[in-house]
Amino acid sequence: MWMLSFVPDAVLEMVVNGVLIVGAISTFLTLFVINRILRWIPALAAVYPFLQLLSVVILGAGIFFKGSYATEASWRGKVAEAQERARLAEQQAHDANEELARVAASKVRYIKGRTEYITEYIDREVTKWDTKFLPGGVCEIPREFIEAHNKGAAKPDFKKK
Amino acid sequence: MKYIPLLLAVLLTGCFSTAPKFPDYPEGVGMNESCPDLKKLKDDPVLSDVSKTINDNYGSYWTCAVKVDTWIEWYGKQKLIYDRAVK
Repeated sequence: MWMLSFVPDAVLEMVVNGVLIVGAISTFLTLFVINRILRWIPALAAVYPFLQLLSVVILGAGIFFKGSYATEASWRGKVAEAQERARLAEQQAHDANEELARVAASKVRYIKGRTEYITEYIDREVTKWDTKFLPGGVCEIPREFIEAHNKGAAKPDFKKK
Repeated sequence: MKYIPLLLAVLLTGCFSTAPKFPDYPEGVGMNESCPDLKKLKDDPVLSDVSKTINDNYGSYWTCAVKVDTWIEWYGKQKLIYDRAVK
């Protein structure tokens, strides 16, 4: 219960153990040693059945609370462990993402630089051959070449297949 | 009688429990957008135009390949982290 989480564990354990011990002792006294007690305190003769019942009830409550507390403590431990693993997983995921993003950005920068370098090379060296491959010339780039290139570069239309 | 609703409310608190917080779904790395379309040749290109277009398309391909490989690596690493956390 969420209310129990406001109570320190030590206090809770003390109360639970206290109820159990009181119940055990009073049950023992009222059920097994009652005759001796009645000899010393005759006034209890009128109420000892009630005391017996009360003792058994307290003992039962103590056993119930002890079991509940043990279960609660066990679940709290499991919850704490699961939360720690979740926190660790989030941290590891974040670190892995940072590393991946850094490496990917570095590779993309390299590719961009390489493309620019090759473009500069084309502007410097390949443009010298442009006049030999002009339209209408001997080495004109055939239309079929352009067609084949563009068909390959076109985005596939998967609906047509 | 007037205390019965209060008693019921107190008893219902037994239904509350602390549940562990599951880790948030990790952010993806790599494929944040689709790969761009390839460039086509214009009509009557010269040789350098052809060369540049091919070069640009190769650049687009390799950039896309990096994104896909990063995405594959991201999935593998996140799966490993997830399996270690929940199993």
